Amino acid sequence: MTVGILLMTHEAMGRALVSAAHHVLGALPLPVDVQEIAPDADPERMLRAAASNARELDRGNGVLVLTDLYGATPCNIARRLPDLGVRMHCVSGLNLPMLLRVLNYPEQSLEELAQTAASGGRGGIVIDTP
Amino acid sequence: MLERDITITNRLGLHARASAKLVQALHEFQSSATIVCRGKEVNAKSIMGVMMLAAGLGTPLTLRTDGVDEEAAMQAMVELFERKFDEGA
Repeated sequence: MTVGILLMTHEAMGRALVSAAHHVLGALPLPVDVQEIAPDADPERMLRAAASNARELDRGNGVLVLTDLYGATPCNIARRLPDLGVRMHCVSGLNLPMLLRVLNYPEQSLEELAQTAASGGRGGIVIDTP
Repeated sequence: MLERDITITNRLGLHARASAKLVQALHEFQSSATIVCRGKEVNAKSIMGVMMLAAGLGTPLTLRTDGVDEEAAMQAMVELFERKFDEGA
């Protein structure tokens, strides 16, 4: 089972997270790509580019799209991907724990990986009381 | 089930890269693997579980493995700690 991972984020977020994941894990066990959406980007053009990225990432088991902020433009574009025939699940609230946890379960299906992403993102938030 | 007490000796402790190495090393074993730290028990095959220990240099840990290949899994874990995760310090 190889699910493709597409990060759709505001500028500079996605690449920085992937760079940190490389630092921690070395080689990444799943195909990962990043699409950052600039503030002045044309949403229709970005949607087509995202669909093209997603198709390249899809090895037959779908694509997990991770977006940084629910309801923001990168996420809103991502949520339209199924209209273009992309088989995907979208999980928002992307953070480094979410990305690392996803990459630690490369054998999971798209549905399982979406749950893994959500629990990883939530579980990475810790209040450290002195 | 096997159990072994060790102390973290690498300078950065169970930081992100060390945790990832531990999880990756254990991936090939069927046995379950857990780390107990300050009374908290986590799955040693879960990167976020291991990181949540926030265990630094000098922290005492109890390692546990349980299953068909528990000896090999324990050896792999102990070796990583003893080699200081190949970090040199």
